[in-house]
Amino acid sequence: MVIKTENISKTYNPDSIPVHALRGVNIEIEKGEFTAIVGPSGSGKTTLLNIIGGLDRPTDGYIEVGGSDISKLSDNELIDFRRNNIGFVFQAYNLIPVLTARENVEFVMLLQNQSEEVRNERTEELLKAVGLEKEIDRRPSKLSGGQQQRVAVARALASKPTFVLADEPTANLDSKSTTNLLDIMAELNRKEEITFVFSTHDQRVIDRARRVITLEDGVIASDIRR
Amino acid sequence: MLFKIAWRNIWRSRTRSLVVIGAIAIGVWAVIFLISFSSGMVTSYINNAIENEISHIQIHHPDFIEDEEVKYFIENPENLISDIQMVDGVKAATLRSISNGMLSTSKGGGRGIRIKAIDPISEALVTHLDEKIKEGKYFGESRSKSILISTSLSEKMKAKVRSKLVLTFQDVNGNITALGFRVAGLFQTGNNAYDLNTVFVKREDLNPNLGDEKLTHEVAIVVNVPQNVEIVQSDIKDLYPNLLTENYKELSPEIELFQSQIKLSALIFTVIVMLGLIFGIINTMLMAVLERIREFGMLMAIGMNKVRVFWMVVLETVLLGMVAAPIGLAIGWFSVVYFSTRGIDLSNYSRGMREIGFSPIIYPNIESDFYWWLTLAVAVTAILGSLYPAFKAIKLRPVEALRKL
Ligand SMILES: Nc1ncnc2c1ncn2[C@@H]1O[C@H](COP(=O)(O)OP(=O)(O)OP(=O)(O)O)[C@@H](O)[C@H]1O
Ligand SMILES: [Mg+2]
Repeated sequence: MVIKTENISKTYNPDSIPVHALRGVNIEIEKGEFTAIVGPSGSGKTTLLNIIGGLDRPTDGYIEVGGSDISKLSDNELIDFRRNNIGFVFQAYNLIPVLTARENVEFVMLLQNQSEEVRNERTEELLKAVGLEKEIDRRPSKLSGGQQQRVAVARALASKPTFVLADEPTANLDSKSTTNLLDIMAELNRKEEITFVFSTHDQRVIDRARRVITLEDGVIASDIRR
Repeated sequence: MLFKIAWRNIWRSRTRSLVVIGAIAIGVWAVIFLISFSSGMVTSYINNAIENEISHIQIHHPDFIEDEEVKYFIENPENLISDIQMVDGVKAATLRSISNGMLSTSKGGGRGIRIKAIDPISEALVTHLDEKIKEGKYFGESRSKSILISTSLSEKMKAKVRSKLVLTFQDVNGNITALGFRVAGLFQTGNNAYDLNTVFVKREDLNPNLGDEKLTHEVAIVVNVPQNVEIVQSDIKDLYPNLLTENYKELSPEIELFQSQIKLSALIFTVIVMLGLIFGIINTMLMAVLERIREFGMLMAIGMNKVRVFWMVVLETVLLGMVAAPIGLAIGWFSVVYFSTRGIDLSNYSRGMREIGFSPIIYPNIESDFYWWLTLAVAVTAILGSLYPAFKAIKLRPVEALRKL
């Protein structure tokens, strides 16, 4: 089991105007899954991903990632946990603008104190895997939105995470780039058994997922595997 | 990599960075210039005082300095001058007898003055008094007794070259003596107060009337290398343990005071300028952090810890300072070098300076150590200025920072 949540809930502003973003969510995600979390706006997708990814803590409940309880970790412990266990792909602003594609990917491994040899080899391998070997020395501003998201995927994988979390990774992409990004993610999932959990509104993305968890008003409305 | 990121971040908002860099550079330049200027002023004062009045070393009877009484003369001065000239490092030496007395013209109008009776030839080697004669001659061959008075005293006394003046003074036995002199020349040293108080006559003219041909109250010595004055001084002390041998710092304690004053005002001025710069730096870096909130959120999300985030902001600020400091140092250095040979002529703005012994042309100078101190000060300022923005950066919570989409 890669991720396991038990009855997690999240309430924003508990003291003033409480917003119950999650109310008792139980999910289990296995290694190698390619899972979409869907649901209307405000249903709690981002909140759920943040909690699974160790960016935020649940108000209540228990989460286990890679076999350890992360609901009680301190801020600094969470940073270390994220660095070594989770690859993030956000909707935008994924990359450090002053660094090239290569340096962006390398940066995570530097934070992990990997040797230069490992870094170089893995960076090139990953950027090749996302089809950007030609753009390796470009800065984000010289890449298209789709290319930027592919660098983000390569960056997310650089740390050899337990799983990759992507919050609406295709929201800013046109349909061609969306398909391209999904092809790459699906291929990495199939060949290297990398676990992907992503949220999306996009029907084309939903169609590609092998498991679709639907959130509604902070609870799981359906959970379909195909 | 952090270094690379910090460096490139500086050039992201180029104009803003250049403005801070300019401010720091100007601050550094201003500090260097002002301090070298005031140090130049003090140096000119010290050099003036050494050159005209006190020389590097003076020797007296131990009680002379306090009372300046004629009876405190140096015993057995016969070999003094030749012995001292043998001491290593001595450039020139001269003997003087000194008496306080009154100067009056034939029309009356007495004025208290200090009579310095000198040996014209060796005196010229020590104080270059001969070069300061503005009118008339440096004694000359006249058969009557000659006196040198300053140009300002000549105005006050309404005495010209060739005027007759009378000196009244006490001899070694306490008898009051009056003696007529003819003005041979008018001098000007640059220190008006000194000029108004001092007249020069020849030892050979005055000494017989003071009571002894060989009478000597003072030996004035210049050394080859002013930095070695203490070494020469101690050699002379060994030679004449019973006499009081003092260097220019001991003779004129205000010199030490001036020198420490310069250091203190340098410190104060540096601190004030740096304080001003700190606020500019804080402002700039705060802007730099606040416009990158999402980026910091992302960096922390992917596992950059707070120590590194903090360090990155500090590094960026220090780099900014280290780009600016050399520019300011270079401009400062050039202006010091330029003006230290050319001088800054203040004669139009500073009438009073001559009165108290400051020269109206300032030659800025600065100790080279100061450049290092200033670099360090800029680094410290940059670090201090970066602390608050860096704290702001690590206080960000990644979820909230990222939500600002
Ligand atoms: N920091 C916050 N403070 C207060 N309320 C919040 C905060 N973050 C989210 N919420 C609220 O919690 C609920 C769930 O938000 P969340 O962002 O998880 O939804 P979402 O499914 O990701 O929506 P979208 O599809 O628009 O991204 C929403 O009602 C939202 O307004
Ligand atoms: Mg969302």
